[in-house]
Amino acid sequence: MDTLKIFNSNVVIQRFFYSGNFVNQLKLTALSFSSTCPKKRSISASTAPVGTGGRHFHTAASNHRNTSCFSHMAAPTSDGHKEDVKDDRISRITSAIRVIPDFPKPGILFQDITTLLLDPVAFKDTIDLFVERYKDKDISVVAGVEARGFIFGPPIALAIGAKFVPMRKPNKLPGAVISQEYSLEYGTDKIEMHVGAVQEGERALVIDDLIATGGTLCAAISLLERVGVKVVECACVIELPDLKGRDRLGDKPLFVLVS
Amino acid sequence: MFAEENGLHGDPRIKAISDAIRVVPHFPKPGIMFQDITTLLLDQKAFKYTVDIFVDRYKEKKISVVAGVEARGFIFGPPIALAIGAKFVPLRKPRKLPGEVISEAYVLEYGTDCLEMHVGAVQAGESVLIVDDLVATGGTLSAAIRLLGKELEVHCSSSSTIILDQINNIYIFEHVFLERVGADVVECACVIGLPQVKGNWTLNGVPLYVLVEPRLNDLGHFGDGGFV
Repeated sequence: MDTLKIFNSNVVIQRFFYSGNFVNQLKLTALSFSSTCPKKRSISASTAPVGTGGRHFHTAASNHRNTSCFSHMAAPTSDGHKEDVKDDRISRITSAIRVIPDFPKPGILFQDITTLLLDPVAFKDTIDLFVERYKDKDISVVAGVEARGFIFGPPIALAIGAKFVPMRKPNKLPGAVISQEYSLEYGTDKIEMHVGAVQEGERALVIDDLIATGGTLCAAISLLERVGVKVVECACVIELPDLKGRDRLGDKPLFVLVS
Repeated sequence: MFAEENGLHGDPRIKAISDAIRVVPHFPKPGIMFQDITTLLLDQKAFKYTVDIFVDRYKEKKISVVAGVEARGFIFGPPIALAIGAKFVPLRKPRKLPGEVISEAYVLEYGTDCLEMHVGAVQAGESVLIVDDLVATGGTLSAAIRLLGKELEVHCSSSSTIILDQINNIYIFEHVFLERVGADVVECACVIGLPQVKGNWTLNGVPLYVLVEPRLNDLGHFGDGGFV
Protein backbone atom coordinates (compact mmCIF):
# COMPACT_ATOMS: atom_id res chain seq x y z
CA MET A 1 0.00 0.00 0.00
CA ASP A 2 1.37 3.39 -0.96
CA THR A 3 0.62 6.42 1.11
CA LEU A 4 1.18 9.89 -0.26
CA LYS A 5 0.53 13.33 1.00
CA ILE A 6 -1.30 15.57 -1.45
CA PHE A 7 -2.64 18.96 -0.43
CA ASN A 8 -2.71 17.99 3.24
CA SER A 9 -4.71 14.87 2.55
CA ASN A 10 -3.42 11.42 3.08
CA VAL A 11 -3.77 9.42 -0.08
CA VAL A 12 -3.71 5.69 0.27
CA ILE A 13 -3.31 3.57 -2.86
CA GLN A 14 -4.06 -0.12 -2.68
CA ARG A 15 -3.77 -2.41 -5.68
CA PHE A 16 -5.63 -5.68 -6.10
CA PHE A 17 -4.34 -8.05 -8.79
CA TYR A 18 -6.61 -10.51 -10.51
CA SER A 19 -5.20 -13.04 -12.89
CA GLY A 20 -6.53 -15.87 -14.96
CA ASN A 21 -7.66 -16.49 -18.47
CA PHE A 22 -10.36 -13.99 -19.22
CA VAL A 23 -12.14 -14.57 -22.48
CA ASN A 24 -13.03 -10.91 -23.00
CA GLN A 25 -10.25 -8.46 -23.40
CA LEU A 26 -10.68 -5.81 -20.78
CA LYS A 27 -10.06 -2.30 -21.91
CA LEU A 28 -7.95 0.18 -20.01
CA THR A 29 -10.04 2.62 -18.08
CA ALA A 30 -9.02 6.09 -17.26
CA LEU A 31 -9.38 6.71 -13.56
CA SER A 32 -13.05 6.02 -13.02
CA PHE A 33 -15.25 6.62 -10.08
CA SER A 34 -17.24 3.81 -8.61
CA SER A 35 -20.25 4.38 -6.46
CA THR A 36 -19.99 1.09 -4.68
CA CYS A 37 -18.17 1.37 -1.43
CA PRO A 38 -19.50 -0.22 1.71
CA LYS A 39 -17.91 1.97 4.32
CA LYS A 40 -17.05 5.40 3.12
CA ARG A 41 -18.84 8.16 1.32
CA SER A 42 -17.67 8.03 -2.26
CA ILE A 43 -17.31 10.59 -4.97
CA SER A 44 -19.85 9.54 -7.49
CA ALA A 45 -19.51 9.81 -11.20
CA SER A 46 -20.20 7.59 -14.13
CA THR A 47 -19.74 3.93 -13.49
CA ALA A 48 -19.04 2.92 -17.04
CA PRO A 49 -15.33 2.65 -17.63
CA VAL A 50 -13.92 4.79 -20.39
CA GLY A 51 -12.10 2.39 -22.59
CA THR A 52 -9.19 3.61 -24.57
CA GLY A 53 -7.83 0.24 -25.55
CA GLY A 54 -6.03 -2.44 -23.65
CA ARG A 55 -2.71 -1.62 -22.17
CA HIS A 56 -0.75 -4.59 -23.30
CA PHE A 57 2.33 -5.57 -21.44
CA HIS A 58 4.11 -7.87 -23.72
CA THR A 59 6.39 -10.28 -22.01
CA ALA A 60 9.71 -10.93 -23.62
CA ALA A 61 7.97 -13.73 -25.43
CA SER A 62 6.02 -11.58 -27.82
CA ASN A 63 8.46 -8.72 -28.17
CA HIS A 64 11.20 -10.71 -29.70
CA ARG A 65 10.04 -11.44 -33.18
CA ASN A 66 12.54 -12.78 -35.57
CA THR A 67 12.19 -9.79 -37.85
CA SER A 68 15.25 -8.07 -36.49
CA CYS A 69 17.63 -10.93 -36.97
CA PHE A 70 17.44 -11.79 -40.62
CA SER A 71 20.63 -12.88 -42.20
CA HIS A 72 21.87 -10.63 -44.93
CA MET A 73 24.02 -13.10 -46.69
CA ALA A 74 25.96 -12.73 -49.87
CA ALA A 75 24.22 -13.58 -53.12
CA PRO A 76 23.36 -17.25 -52.97
CA THR A 77 25.02 -19.72 -55.27
CA SER A 78 23.45 -22.86 -56.55
CA ASP A 79 24.59 -25.16 -59.27
CA GLY A 80 24.44 -22.39 -61.85
CA HIS A 81 20.77 -22.27 -62.86
CA LYS A 82 19.55 -18.75 -63.40
CA GLU A 83 15.77 -19.07 -63.73
CA ASP A 84 14.00 -16.10 -62.16
CA VAL A 85 11.57 -18.23 -60.24
CA LYS A 86 14.37 -20.19 -58.65
CA ASP A 87 16.24 -16.99 -57.73
CA ASP A 88 13.13 -15.63 -56.03
CA ARG A 89 12.83 -18.78 -54.02
CA ILE A 90 16.49 -18.68 -53.01
CA SER A 91 16.21 -15.05 -51.86
CA ARG A 92 13.18 -15.81 -49.79
CA ILE A 93 14.95 -18.79 -48.24
CA THR A 94 18.06 -16.73 -47.55
CA SER A 95 16.05 -13.97 -45.89
CA ALA A 96 14.25 -16.46 -43.72
CA ILE A 97 17.42 -17.75 -42.08
CA ARG A 98 18.35 -16.02 -38.85
CA VAL A 99 21.92 -15.39 -37.69
CA ILE A 100 22.56 -15.61 -33.96
CA PRO A 101 25.95 -14.25 -32.87
CA ASP A 102 28.09 -15.98 -30.27
CA PHE A 103 26.20 -19.25 -30.21
CA PRO A 104 27.13 -21.84 -29.03
CA LYS A 105 30.40 -20.04 -28.23
CA PRO A 106 31.72 -16.49 -28.57
CA GLY A 107 32.85 -15.71 -32.09
CA ILE A 108 30.52 -18.13 -33.85
CA LEU A 109 27.70 -16.77 -36.03
CA PHE A 110 25.05 -19.48 -35.79
CA GLN A 111 22.88 -19.99 -38.88
CA ASP A 112 19.44 -20.68 -37.42
CA ILE A 113 17.05 -22.45 -39.79
CA THR A 114 14.16 -22.48 -37.34
CA THR A 115 12.96 -19.16 -38.75
CA LEU A 116 12.89 -20.77 -42.20
CA LEU A 117 10.52 -23.39 -40.76
CA LEU A 118 8.23 -20.60 -39.57
CA ASP A 119 7.73 -19.44 -43.16
CA PRO A 120 5.63 -22.16 -44.81
CA VAL A 121 6.28 -20.81 -48.31
CA ALA A 122 10.05 -20.66 -47.84
CA PHE A 123 10.13 -24.09 -46.20
CA LYS A 124 8.13 -25.56 -49.07
CA ASP A 125 10.42 -23.85 -51.59
CA THR A 126 13.45 -25.39 -49.86
CA ILE A 127 12.01 -28.88 -50.18
CA ASP A 128 10.83 -28.25 -53.76
CA LEU A 129 14.30 -27.14 -54.86
CA PHE A 130 15.80 -30.39 -53.60
CA VAL A 131 12.97 -32.54 -54.96
CA GLU A 132 13.25 -30.98 -58.41
CA ARG A 133 16.93 -31.81 -58.46
CA TYR A 134 16.68 -35.40 -57.26
CA LYS A 135 13.37 -36.81 -58.38
CA ASP A 136 14.67 -38.34 -61.60
CA LYS A 137 18.04 -39.45 -60.31
CA ASP A 138 16.94 -42.96 -59.26
CA ILE A 139 17.66 -42.33 -55.61
CA SER A 140 16.30 -44.95 -53.25
CA VAL A 141 17.76 -43.70 -49.95
CA VAL A 142 17.69 -40.29 -48.27
CA ALA A 143 19.94 -40.35 -45.20
CA GLY A 144 19.44 -37.48 -42.73
CA VAL A 145 21.79 -36.55 -39.94
CA GLU A 146 20.31 -36.00 -36.47
CA ALA A 147 18.58 -33.74 -35.66
CA ARG A 148 18.10 -30.99 -38.24
CA GLY A 149 18.61 -33.46 -41.07
CA PHE A 150 15.42 -35.12 -39.77
CA ILE A 151 13.47 -31.99 -40.63
CA PHE A 152 14.52 -31.72 -44.28
CA GLY A 153 15.17 -35.36 -45.18
CA PRO A 154 11.73 -36.99 -44.73
CA PRO A 155 9.75 -34.51 -46.87
CA ILE A 156 12.29 -35.01 -49.67
CA ALA A 157 12.20 -38.80 -49.26
CA LEU A 158 8.40 -38.86 -49.37
CA ALA A 159 8.30 -36.70 -52.49
CA ILE A 160 10.85 -38.73 -54.46
CA GLY A 161 9.64 -42.13 -53.24
CA ALA A 162 12.81 -43.01 -51.34
CA LYS A 163 13.41 -44.53 -47.92
CA PHE A 164 14.42 -42.23 -45.10
CA VAL A 165 17.35 -43.46 -42.99
CA PRO A 166 18.17 -41.54 -39.81
CA MET A 167 21.83 -41.18 -38.85
CA ARG A 168 21.94 -40.74 -35.10
CA LYS A 169 24.16 -39.92 -32.15
CA PRO A 170 25.34 -42.99 -30.22
CA ASN A 171 22.90 -45.17 -28.26
CA LYS A 172 19.74 -43.72 -29.76
CA LEU A 173 19.01 -46.36 -32.42
CA PRO A 174 17.76 -49.64 -30.99
CA GLY A 175 19.08 -52.93 -32.33
CA ALA A 176 22.25 -53.59 -34.31
CA VAL A 177 24.04 -50.56 -35.68
CA ILE A 178 27.25 -49.65 -37.45
CA SER A 179 29.09 -46.56 -36.29
CA GLN A 180 31.60 -44.10 -37.62
CA GLU A 181 33.79 -41.87 -35.54
CA TYR A 182 34.77 -38.41 -36.73
CA SER A 183 36.90 -35.63 -35.35
CA LEU A 184 35.69 -32.38 -33.87
CA GLU A 185 37.65 -29.26 -33.09
CA TYR A 186 38.32 -30.82 -29.67
CA GLY A 187 37.87 -34.55 -29.45
CA THR A 188 35.72 -36.90 -31.48
CA ASP A 189 32.09 -37.83 -31.96
CA LYS A 190 30.25 -40.74 -33.53
CA ILE A 191 27.22 -41.31 -35.70
CA GLU A 192 25.32 -44.57 -36.15
CA MET A 193 23.09 -46.21 -38.74
CA HIS A 194 20.97 -49.34 -38.49
CA VAL A 195 22.37 -52.55 -39.88
CA GLY A 196 20.08 -53.64 -42.69
CA ALA A 197 18.55 -50.23 -43.34
CA VAL A 198 20.24 -49.98 -46.72
CA GLN A 199 21.28 -52.58 -49.28
CA GLU A 200 24.41 -52.84 -51.36
CA GLY A 201 24.03 -51.05 -54.67
CA GLU A 202 21.40 -48.56 -53.57
CA ARG A 203 21.82 -44.92 -54.55
CA ALA A 204 21.74 -42.42 -51.68
CA LEU A 205 21.48 -38.76 -50.91
CA VAL A 206 22.86 -37.40 -47.62
CA ILE A 207 20.99 -34.45 -46.14
CA ASP A 208 21.79 -31.99 -43.38
CA ASP A 209 20.79 -28.38 -42.69
CA LEU A 210 24.31 -27.01 -42.91
CA ILE A 211 27.85 -28.03 -43.92
CA ALA A 212 30.67 -26.45 -41.94
CA THR A 213 33.93 -28.42 -41.78
CA GLY A 214 32.28 -31.43 -43.42
CA GLY A 215 33.20 -33.82 -40.61
CA THR A 216 29.68 -35.07 -39.95
CA LEU A 217 28.86 -35.46 -43.64
CA CYS A 218 32.06 -37.39 -44.26
CA ALA A 219 31.18 -39.76 -41.44
CA ALA A 220 27.71 -40.25 -42.92
CA ILE A 221 29.14 -40.96 -46.38
CA SER A 222 31.54 -43.43 -44.83
CA LEU A 223 28.76 -45.35 -43.11
CA LEU A 224 26.87 -45.73 -46.38
CA GLU A 225 29.89 -46.64 -48.50
CA ARG A 226 31.02 -49.26 -46.02
CA VAL A 227 27.87 -51.25 -46.80
CA GLY A 228 28.19 -50.81 -50.55
CA VAL A 229 25.81 -47.90 -51.12
CA LYS A 230 26.63 -45.29 -53.76
CA VAL A 231 26.41 -41.77 -52.36
CA VAL A 232 25.20 -39.73 -55.32
CA GLU A 233 25.34 -36.31 -53.64
CA CYS A 234 25.32 -34.43 -50.35
CA ALA A 235 22.67 -31.76 -50.03
CA CYS A 236 22.52 -28.94 -47.49
CA VAL A 237 20.47 -25.80 -47.13
CA ILE A 238 23.52 -23.74 -46.06
CA GLU A 239 27.25 -23.93 -46.74
CA LEU A 240 29.90 -22.05 -44.76
CA PRO A 241 32.51 -21.85 -47.53
CA ASP A 242 35.33 -20.54 -45.32
CA LEU A 243 35.36 -23.79 -43.40
CA LYS A 244 36.16 -25.73 -46.59
CA GLY A 245 33.74 -28.57 -46.03
CA ARG A 246 33.38 -28.98 -49.79
CA ASP A 247 37.08 -29.85 -50.06
CA ARG A 248 36.82 -32.35 -47.25
CA LEU A 249 34.09 -34.19 -49.18
CA GLY A 250 36.63 -34.80 -51.91
CA ASP A 251 35.05 -36.39 -54.95
CA LYS A 252 31.55 -36.41 -53.48
CA PRO A 253 29.43 -33.66 -55.04
CA LEU A 254 27.81 -31.11 -52.77
CA PHE A 255 24.66 -29.16 -53.56
CA VAL A 256 23.62 -26.20 -51.39
CA LEU A 257 20.96 -23.54 -51.64
CA VAL A 258 22.62 -20.73 -49.68
CA SER A 259 26.28 -20.01 -49.10
CA MET B 1 -8.65 -41.73 -29.54
CA PHE B 2 -7.48 -44.26 -32.05
CA ALA B 3 -7.86 -43.66 -35.78
CA GLU B 4 -9.88 -46.87 -36.05
CA GLU B 5 -12.51 -45.54 -33.66
CA ASN B 6 -12.87 -42.44 -35.75
CA GLY B 7 -13.71 -43.31 -39.31
CA LEU B 8 -10.77 -45.51 -40.20
CA HIS B 9 -12.07 -48.84 -38.94
CA GLY B 10 -10.83 -51.57 -41.27
CA ASP B 11 -8.66 -49.18 -43.25
CA PRO B 12 -5.84 -51.37 -44.62
CA ARG B 13 -3.39 -48.51 -44.22
CA ILE B 14 -3.57 -48.88 -40.43
CA LYS B 15 -2.45 -52.50 -40.59
CA ALA B 16 0.32 -51.63 -43.05
CA ILE B 17 1.59 -48.98 -40.64
CA SER B 18 1.44 -51.30 -37.64
CA ASP B 19 3.20 -54.10 -39.50
CA ALA B 20 5.98 -51.77 -40.59
CA ILE B 21 6.96 -50.91 -37.03
CA ARG B 22 9.70 -53.04 -35.55
CA VAL B 23 9.71 -54.19 -31.94
CA VAL B 24 13.13 -54.34 -30.28
CA PRO B 25 13.04 -56.18 -26.96
CA HIS B 26 14.86 -54.89 -23.90
CA PHE B 27 15.80 -51.47 -25.28
CA PRO B 28 16.85 -49.16 -23.73
CA LYS B 29 16.47 -51.33 -20.62
CA PRO B 30 15.41 -54.90 -19.83
CA GLY B 31 11.66 -55.32 -19.90
CA ILE B 32 10.94 -52.57 -22.41
CA MET B 33 9.62 -53.63 -25.84
CA PHE B 34 10.84 -50.67 -27.89
CA GLN B 35 8.55 -49.62 -30.76
CA ASP B 36 11.02 -48.74 -33.50
CA ILE B 37 9.56 -46.50 -36.21
CA THR B 38 12.72 -46.49 -38.32
CA THR B 39 11.42 -49.51 -40.22
CA LEU B 40 8.25 -47.55 -40.99
CA LEU B 41 10.48 -44.89 -42.58
CA LEU B 42 12.06 -47.55 -44.80
CA ASP B 43 8.64 -48.50 -46.16
CA GLN B 44 7.76 -45.62 -48.49
CA LYS B 45 4.13 -46.62 -48.78
CA ALA B 46 3.54 -47.02 -45.06
CA PHE B 47 5.36 -43.79 -44.23
CA LYS B 48 3.23 -41.96 -46.80
CA TYR B 49 0.04 -43.50 -45.38
CA THR B 50 1.03 -42.25 -41.92
CA VAL B 51 1.48 -38.68 -43.11
CA ASP B 52 -1.64 -38.83 -45.33
CA ILE B 53 -3.89 -39.95 -42.48
CA PHE B 54 -2.75 -37.07 -40.28
CA VAL B 55 -2.97 -34.55 -43.12
CA ASP B 56 -6.52 -35.65 -43.99
CA ARG B 57 -7.54 -35.15 -40.39
CA TYR B 58 -5.94 -31.73 -39.88
CA LYS B 59 -6.02 -29.94 -43.21
CA GLU B 60 -9.42 -28.28 -42.63
CA LYS B 61 -8.86 -27.49 -38.98
CA LYS B 62 -7.14 -24.09 -39.51
CA ILE B 63 -4.03 -25.17 -37.67
CA SER B 64 -1.26 -22.63 -38.02
CA VAL B 65 1.49 -24.37 -36.05
CA VAL B 66 2.77 -27.95 -35.96
CA ALA B 67 5.11 -28.45 -33.01
CA GLY B 68 7.35 -31.52 -33.08
CA VAL B 69 9.13 -33.01 -30.10
CA GLU B 70 12.82 -33.75 -30.62
CA ALA B 71 13.92 -35.91 -32.32
CA ARG B 72 11.37 -38.33 -33.80
CA GLY B 73 8.71 -35.62 -33.81
CA PHE B 74 11.00 -33.88 -36.32
CA ILE B 75 10.45 -36.75 -38.75
CA PHE B 76 6.63 -36.75 -38.73
CA GLY B 77 5.89 -33.10 -37.98
CA PRO B 78 7.43 -31.29 -41.00
CA PRO B 79 5.69 -33.36 -43.72
CA ILE B 80 2.36 -32.68 -41.99
CA ALA B 81 3.16 -28.97 -41.58
CA LEU B 82 4.16 -28.64 -45.24
CA ALA B 83 0.99 -30.36 -46.44
CA ILE B 84 -1.38 -28.25 -44.34
CA GLY B 85 0.49 -24.97 -44.82
CA ALA B 86 1.44 -24.55 -41.17
CA LYS B 87 4.64 -23.40 -39.51
CA PHE B 88 6.86 -26.07 -38.01
CA VAL B 89 8.18 -25.37 -34.52
CA PRO B 90 10.79 -27.70 -33.02
CA LEU B 91 10.55 -28.41 -29.29
CA ARG B 92 14.07 -29.27 -28.19
CA LYS B 93 16.23 -30.53 -25.36
CA PRO B 94 18.01 -27.79 -23.40
CA ARG B 95 20.68 -25.61 -25.01
CA LYS B 96 20.07 -26.75 -28.57
CA LEU B 97 18.01 -23.78 -29.72
CA PRO B 98 20.02 -20.59 -30.18
CA GLY B 99 18.67 -17.26 -29.02
CA GLU B 100 15.88 -16.69 -26.53
CA VAL B 101 13.83 -19.65 -25.40
CA ILE B 102 11.09 -20.51 -22.94
CA SER B 103 11.33 -23.84 -21.17
CA GLU B 104 9.23 -26.35 -19.30
CA ALA B 105 10.56 -29.04 -16.99
CA TYR B 106 9.02 -32.48 -16.64
CA VAL B 107 9.56 -35.51 -14.47
CA LEU B 108 11.19 -38.74 -15.67
CA GLU B 109 11.31 -42.04 -13.88
CA TYR B 110 14.60 -40.90 -12.38
CA GLY B 111 15.20 -37.18 -12.38
CA THR B 112 13.85 -34.46 -14.62
CA ASP B 113 14.26 -33.20 -18.16
CA CYS B 114 13.33 -30.03 -19.95
CA LEU B 115 11.78 -28.95 -23.28
CA GLU B 116 12.53 -25.60 -24.90
CA MET B 117 10.83 -23.51 -27.57
CA HIS B 118 11.91 -20.30 -29.24
CA VAL B 119 10.45 -17.06 -27.94
CA GLY B 120 8.33 -15.60 -30.72
CA ALA B 121 7.87 -18.84 -32.66
CA VAL B 122 4.22 -19.04 -31.68
CA GLN B 123 1.83 -16.13 -31.19
CA ALA B 124 -0.83 -15.99 -28.51
CA GLY B 125 -4.04 -17.65 -29.61
CA GLU B 126 -2.58 -19.64 -32.54
CA SER B 127 -3.96 -23.14 -33.12
CA VAL B 128 -1.31 -25.76 -32.55
CA LEU B 129 -0.93 -29.48 -33.29
CA ILE B 130 1.77 -31.32 -31.31
CA VAL B 131 3.37 -34.33 -33.01
CA ASP B 132 5.53 -37.12 -31.61
CA ASP B 133 6.14 -40.73 -32.65
CA LEU B 134 4.79 -42.38 -29.51
CA VAL B 135 2.87 -41.53 -26.36
CA ALA B 136 3.48 -43.69 -23.29
CA THR B 137 3.15 -41.99 -19.91
CA GLY B 138 2.38 -38.67 -21.58
CA GLY B 139 5.08 -36.88 -19.59
CA THR B 140 6.81 -35.35 -22.59
CA LEU B 141 3.58 -34.39 -24.34
CA SER B 142 2.23 -32.82 -21.15
CA ALA B 143 5.34 -30.72 -20.93
CA ALA B 144 4.91 -29.71 -24.57
CA ILE B 145 1.28 -28.72 -23.93
CA ARG B 146 2.29 -26.66 -20.90
CA LEU B 147 5.11 -25.05 -22.86
CA LEU B 148 2.79 -23.98 -25.68
CA GLY B 149 0.11 -22.78 -23.29
CA LYS B 150 2.59 -20.71 -21.34
CA GLU B 151 1.86 -17.06 -21.31
CA LEU B 152 3.01 -15.48 -24.53
CA GLU B 153 1.34 -12.15 -23.85
CA VAL B 154 -0.05 -10.50 -20.77
CA HIS B 155 -2.93 -8.12 -21.30
CA CYS B 156 -3.29 -5.71 -18.42
CA SER B 157 -6.12 -3.38 -17.68
CA SER B 158 -7.33 -1.71 -14.56
CA SER B 159 -10.17 0.15 -13.04
CA SER B 160 -9.99 2.34 -9.99
CA THR B 161 -12.24 3.32 -7.18
CA ILE B 162 -11.55 6.58 -5.41
CA ILE B 163 -13.01 7.25 -2.06
CA LEU B 164 -12.86 10.39 -0.02
CA ASP B 165 -13.61 10.03 3.65
CA GLN B 166 -14.98 12.51 6.10
CA ILE B 167 -11.61 13.80 7.13
CA ASN B 168 -10.40 14.29 3.59
CA ASN B 169 -8.32 11.20 3.32
CA ILE B 170 -8.32 9.87 -0.22
CA TYR B 171 -8.34 6.14 -0.82
CA ILE B 172 -7.58 4.84 -4.29
CA PHE B 173 -8.34 1.17 -4.90
CA GLU B 174 -6.92 -0.10 -8.16
CA HIS B 175 -8.19 -3.35 -9.58
CA VAL B 176 -5.63 -4.71 -11.99
CA PHE B 177 -6.75 -7.48 -14.34
CA LEU B 178 -4.11 -9.67 -15.93
CA GLU B 179 -5.07 -11.82 -18.86
CA ARG B 180 -2.51 -14.45 -19.76
CA VAL B 181 -2.77 -15.73 -23.29
CA GLY B 182 -0.91 -18.73 -24.62
CA ALA B 183 -1.39 -20.74 -27.75
CA ASP B 184 -4.37 -23.05 -28.20
CA VAL B 185 -3.27 -26.68 -28.45
CA VAL B 186 -5.95 -28.34 -30.54
CA GLU B 187 -4.71 -31.95 -30.44
CA CYS B 188 -1.66 -34.20 -29.98
CA ALA B 189 -0.98 -36.64 -32.79
CA CYS B 190 1.16 -39.75 -32.34
CA VAL B 191 1.79 -42.75 -34.54
CA ILE B 192 1.78 -45.16 -31.57
CA GLY B 193 -0.13 -44.96 -28.29
CA LEU B 194 -0.94 -47.20 -25.37
CA PRO B 195 -4.49 -48.64 -25.33
CA GLN B 196 -5.56 -46.31 -22.50
CA VAL B 197 -5.84 -43.42 -24.95
CA LYS B 198 -8.98 -44.95 -26.48
CA GLY B 199 -12.17 -42.92 -26.45
CA ASN B 200 -12.18 -39.43 -25.06
CA TRP B 201 -8.94 -39.63 -23.17
CA THR B 202 -7.28 -36.26 -22.85
CA LEU B 203 -3.93 -35.03 -21.61
CA ASN B 204 -4.08 -31.70 -19.75
CA GLY B 205 -7.45 -31.23 -21.44
CA VAL B 206 -6.03 -31.82 -24.93
CA PRO B 207 -7.33 -34.78 -26.98
CA LEU B 208 -4.93 -37.33 -28.46
CA TYR B 209 -5.15 -38.92 -31.89
CA VAL B 210 -3.18 -42.12 -32.35
CA LEU B 211 -2.85 -44.53 -35.28
CA VAL B 212 -1.74 -47.86 -33.77
CA GLU B 213 -1.11 -49.63 -30.48
CA PRO B 214 2.31 -50.96 -29.49
CA ARG B 215 3.01 -54.55 -30.47
CA LEU B 216 4.58 -57.05 -28.18
CA ASN B 217 6.48 -59.07 -30.74
CA ASP B 218 8.30 -58.47 -33.93
CA LEU B 219 7.28 -59.62 -37.40
CA GLY B 220 10.81 -60.33 -38.62
CA HIS B 221 12.13 -57.05 -39.89
CA PHE B 222 15.73 -56.86 -41.02
CA GLY B 223 16.14 -60.65 -40.92
CA ASP B 224 18.56 -61.51 -38.14
CA GLY B 225 20.62 -58.38 -38.36
CA GLY B 226 18.39 -56.05 -36.47
CA PHE B 227 17.98 -57.63 -33.10
CA VAL B 228 19.80 -56.98 -29.86
